[in-house]
Amino acid sequence: MDGVLLAQFIMNGLMLGMMYALVAVGFTLFFGVLDIIVFSHGDTVMVGAFAGLGTYVWLQSVYPDIDTVWVCLWVVLASLLAVCLLGVVLARGLIMRLRSSPPLNTLLATMMLGTVLREAIRLFYPDGSNPQPFPKLLPDTSWVLGGVTVRLDSVLLFVGGLLLIGGIHLLINKTKLGMAVRAVAQDSEAAQLMGVNFSFIVLLTFALGSGVAAFAGLMNGIYYNEINFSMGVLLGAIGFSAAVIGGLGNIYGAIIGGFVFAFLQTIGAVALPFSSAYKDVFAFAVVIVLMAIRPTGFLAERSSQRV
Amino acid sequence: MAVAFSPLRIENLYVAYGKADVICGVNMEICAGRITGLLGSNGAGKTTLLRAVLGLTPPRKGSVVFNGMEISGLPPHKIAARGISCIPEGRRIFSKMTVEENLLMGAYMEKDRDKIRQRLERVYRIFPRLLERREQFAGTMSGGEQAMVSIGRGLMNEPKLLVIDEPSLGLSPALVNDNFRVIRQICEDGIAVFLVEQNVRQTLAIAHYGYVLAQGRVVAEGTAEELKQSEEVKKAYFG
Repeated sequence: MDGVLLAQFIMNGLMLGMMYALVAVGFTLFFGVLDIIVFSHGDTVMVGAFAGLGTYVWLQSVYPDIDTVWVCLWVVLASLLAVCLLGVVLARGLIMRLRSSPPLNTLLATMMLGTVLREAIRLFYPDGSNPQPFPKLLPDTSWVLGGVTVRLDSVLLFVGGLLLIGGIHLLINKTKLGMAVRAVAQDSEAAQLMGVNFSFIVLLTFALGSGVAAFAGLMNGIYYNEINFSMGVLLGAIGFSAAVIGGLGNIYGAIIGGFVFAFLQTIGAVALPFSSAYKDVFAFAVVIVLMAIRPTGFLAERSSQRV
Repeated sequence: MAVAFSPLRIENLYVAYGKADVICGVNMEICAGRITGLLGSNGAGKTTLLRAVLGLTPPRKGSVVFNGMEISGLPPHKIAARGISCIPEGRRIFSKMTVEENLLMGAYMEKDRDKIRQRLERVYRIFPRLLERREQFAGTMSGGEQAMVSIGRGLMNEPKLLVIDEPSLGLSPALVNDNFRVIRQICEDGIAVFLVEQNVRQTLAIAHYGYVLAQGRVVAEGTAEELKQSEEVKKAYFG
C-alpha cells in the first residue's frame, strides 16, 4: 500500500477514534460515579446530532442571512445545552429513582429509554425515518500536503474534541468540584459525610457526559454529512466497548479505548485480506479477545472489587 | 453531667431496614468536651444508629436534634454542614487521591482558603508523618497511616461533633493507643466525641460516659466507672 493512502486511513482513524473516545468518556463517567451502565448513551449522541440539525434548520428559516460562523456556534451551543439538559432529566427522572432497585433494572430502563429516544426522533422529526443530510457548518478549505488531503473541518473537529477532553481533564483533576466527583466515584458515602451533595454530583456528571456525547454526534454529522435516527446504536456499542477495553471508570482508559477501537477498524478495513465491510466484525472480535485476556481493561480501575 | 452543653440529642429513635426495626426507641445525649462511648456487641445496632445520625439511613421515627435543630431526615451533606464530622469504620479514605487531597476533602465545605491552610497545618502538626507523605496516594500507605489520614480528614471540618466508628479495628495495640491519645486531645479542645467501639475495656478507659446497646435498645448507661461495674454490660456482651 502506498503512503498517501495509509496517511488518509490514519487521519480517518483519528477522527473516528476521537468520536469513540468522546462517547466512551460518558460511559466511563457514569460507571465511575454510579456503577451503572447507561445503555441509552449511544442514542444521546444521536439526539445531539439531531438537536444540532434542528437548530440549523430553524436558524435558516428565521434568520436566512446569518453568518455561517454564528450558525456554527449556535448549533454547537444549542446541541450541547439541549443534551446536557437531557442528561440531567435522565439522571433525575430515571437513574436516581432506580438507585435502590437492582442494577439490572437500571440497565433495562436505560435500554428502553434508548429505544424511546430513537423512535421519538424517527416519528417526530420531519421525515425522521430517512437519513437526513447534515449541513456543512465548517469551511470547505483543504490542503494537500505531500499528496495527502487535509480537510480544515476535520482538523477543527479534532481540535474541538481535544479541547473538550482537556477541559474534562482539568475539571476532574484541578478543581474542587472535580475532586468531589472523584471522591464520589471512590466512595460515595464517605464523600457525602464530607459534605458533598451526592445528587448534585450525579446530575453534573450526567450533564458533562451527555454534553460530550452531543459533540460526538455533531462531529459525526459534519464528518459524514449525514445523520439518521439509528446512528446511536452502533456508536453506543462501540463507545461501551471502548470504555470496557480501556477499563470502565477510568477516563484516560476510555480515550485510549476509543482510539484503539478506531485503529482496529482501520486495520480491519485496510490490512486484512477480506472486504472492508468486515471491519466491525474484526474490531468487535478483537475486543472479545482483549476482554478475555484483560478483563479489567488496559487501565484497570477498582480491579480488587471485581474479584 | 447536667451542666455540660449537649449538642446532640437523640429522642425515641426508630430505624428500620425494610420492615424490621433495628433501632427501637433509643434516647441519648452527647455532651461537648466529653467522649461518649457507644458499646454493644456485633449486630446490636451501633452502626445503624450512627448511620441514622449521619443521615445515611433516615430514621423511621423519632428525632435527632443537633445544636437545637432537628436534623433527622436531612441528607448527609446537610447534616455534615451543621458541623458533624465522621471518622468512618474501616477508615473509608479516598485511596486514589493523595494524602493532601483526602484532607482537603475533609474541609470540602469550607470556602476560606486561609482557614483551610491553618487546619491543614494543624493536622500536619498532629501527624507529622502525613506531611512527609502528602503527595503519596493514600491507598498505598500502611493501615496505621491510613488511619491517620481518616482522623485528619475528620478534623479538617472543625466539627462540633466528631463521630468515630471502630477506630481500633485492624490496628496494632500501639497504634490504637496513639489514636486514642489523639481522640482524647480532640475532646479536650471542646469537641463532642461520639465513640463507637466493640472493645469495652478500651472504650471505658477513655470515655466519660457510655451507653450500652443490645438488640436495638439502650440497656444500660452511666459514667465509665459505673459501666465498668455494671452487670448489664457483662450481659450485653456475654449473653
